[in-house]
Amino acid sequence: MRLRTRTAYAFLTPYLLVFLTFWIWPIANSFWLSFLNTRSANWTFNPRMTWGRLLVDPAFANALWNTLLILVIQVPVMIALATVLAVLLNSPILKARGLFRFAFFAPVVVGEVAYAAMFRLLFNEFGIINKLLVATGLASIPWLSDPNAAMAVIIIALTWRWAGYNAIIILAGLQSIPEDVYEAATLDGVSKVRQFFYITLPLLKPVIVLCVVISVIGTMQLFSEPFLITNRGGPGQATETLGLFLYRQGFGAFNFGYASAIAYTITALAVAISLLNLWLGKERE
Amino acid sequence: MAAVSLNNVVKKFGTMSVVHGASLEVADGEFVVFVGPSGCGKSTLLRMIAGLEDISAGEIVIGGRVVNDVEPAERGIAMVFQSYALYPHMTVEQNLSFGLRMNGNDKADTQRRVSRAADILRISELMHRRPRQLSGGQRQRVAIGRAIVRNPQVFLFDEPLSNLDAELRVQMRVEIARLHKELGVTMIYVTHDQTEAMTLADKIVVLRAGNIEQIGRPLDLYDDPNNQFVAGFVGSPRMNFMAGTVVENSSSVVTVKLANQGGALLRKPLGGPLPAIGAAVVLGVRPEHFGLAGRGDSDITVKVDVAEHLGSTSYVYANAGGGEELVIEREESRHEASLDRMTVSLRATHTYLFDSAGLRLR
Repeated sequence: MRLRTRTAYAFLTPYLLVFLTFWIWPIANSFWLSFLNTRSANWTFNPRMTWGRLLVDPAFANALWNTLLILVIQVPVMIALATVLAVLLNSPILKARGLFRFAFFAPVVVGEVAYAAMFRLLFNEFGIINKLLVATGLASIPWLSDPNAAMAVIIIALTWRWAGYNAIIILAGLQSIPEDVYEAATLDGVSKVRQFFYITLPLLKPVIVLCVVISVIGTMQLFSEPFLITNRGGPGQATETLGLFLYRQGFGAFNFGYASAIAYTITALAVAISLLNLWLGKERE
Repeated sequence: MAAVSLNNVVKKFGTMSVVHGASLEVADGEFVVFVGPSGCGKSTLLRMIAGLEDISAGEIVIGGRVVNDVEPAERGIAMVFQSYALYPHMTVEQNLSFGLRMNGNDKADTQRRVSRAADILRISELMHRRPRQLSGGQRQRVAIGRAIVRNPQVFLFDEPLSNLDAELRVQMRVEIARLHKELGVTMIYVTHDQTEAMTLADKIVVLRAGNIEQIGRPLDLYDDPNNQFVAGFVGSPRMNFMAGTVVENSSSVVTVKLANQGGALLRKPLGGPLPAIGAAVVLGVRPEHFGLAGRGDSDITVKVDVAEHLGSTSYVYANAGGGEELVIEREESRHEASLDRMTVSLRATHTYLFDSAGLRLR
């Protein structure tokens, strides 16, 4: 090995050691773990207790269903909302633009626990949301004790937290579309609405696909909101997500083998859905 | 087809005025070029005709109709942008037909117009490509094609060739001239390149800092500029300017002393009022108007800095030590250009005199 190369590796060694110990080794080891029965004193090879259980465990099916439900409802709603927000934030007639951009981005920098506590207060039985509902003549909703309402709270909270973040990414995409393309369309007699659907949206497609992929990955790992806002996936297991189920199996029941299998399943699903998105978003000649 | 007229058109951005009252007549079928340095308001003027910018005051008339409040798409114009402004996600064919399709134009007619434009511009084999798969020249053709399919009464070009390399620029310039001949449509063309202006235009409009400096046929501007700016802007290499002082004025003749050219004296007959003795003036001489020594009305001797030999002509960059660089064109006697010093003559009839404000003294 040439001296220069050796020196380079010498400098990289501390990092590579940390990387191997805390990244590669856990990933490899958890894969091996996912084939072991970790419920007995002596861990034995028994994939039926882990991968096999995934297929028949109603709790896993419930968590998977909940996660996919959030994914299917929350991601499209949030991305649509983010796109509208981005267009509004990009409007030349908007005053105090910097303030608005900051305001919509701010939820991302708020600590998870603080924001979860806020949402618990807002959607508390006697919280401001119910007060507003009653004040407008509607019935109050048992947000945190009704399964469907609890799911709605999770979706609302997620949307509040991430819509602005995605809007800023989409805004960057919007600003990369040259103004003269719109001027050309104006001269072509194309209305503003049609310009949005025939020019803006198609040109934003790569950015929107990126946002969808990021959101899908985030949703597949969803943990904090159901853990903190709906009190560990409650009521019952109504808002238990895959991430929460993994946590319960791994660190509640100490069933590391099963938890590892769940972790690999989450990753595989996230990769599969993301690839599907990328494939759908690909430009076809 | 249509004539275009601007009556006292003003453009203000906030309190800043960028076009100060431009008036102009463009005849039906005429090729008019707006030329001027960056920031002179030429593009703004074009965009006002297109309807992409509001008019702060004045009136724009296209085909006998005041269009101040008419939507851009309804003005009967088509515009070619400097950046081409093609729709990046559409094929060439979709780019050409987009406007027509969006406006519910008959399918067969759209098809016919698109293939006609493609034939005129020879881009038929590119129809299924996207803009990023095209070269600069091809993109420019598509942009022009998109204008053609609209069957406009007036074509507007906003510096269409400035993103192309030199060779392609010449080629596209010829194409645009051909297009104008073929379609016979009114064209208004913006450029900062005076060569483009000279070669393409029926009529040139020279702009500076939001004002129209002069309007005229290319050679009229070249031969008979109204002021020092136009004289310097039109022509390449540009006109030489020498500082001078009036030392004598009598019976329609002024004598100008060129302080920076060894105090050479030139007697120049003028038709109008004569400048006072002692007045500072500027003498303009085009590079090709320097004569052989002793053959003109006055001789100056200059030191040769650099000579550029282009074959048929040579350009000699010279100065007389007074800080004024002169460009002298020589068609014969190439050996002269290899000299250290050379003497050339000025002929009064081939010079231009400007007062200290830059206005031409005739």
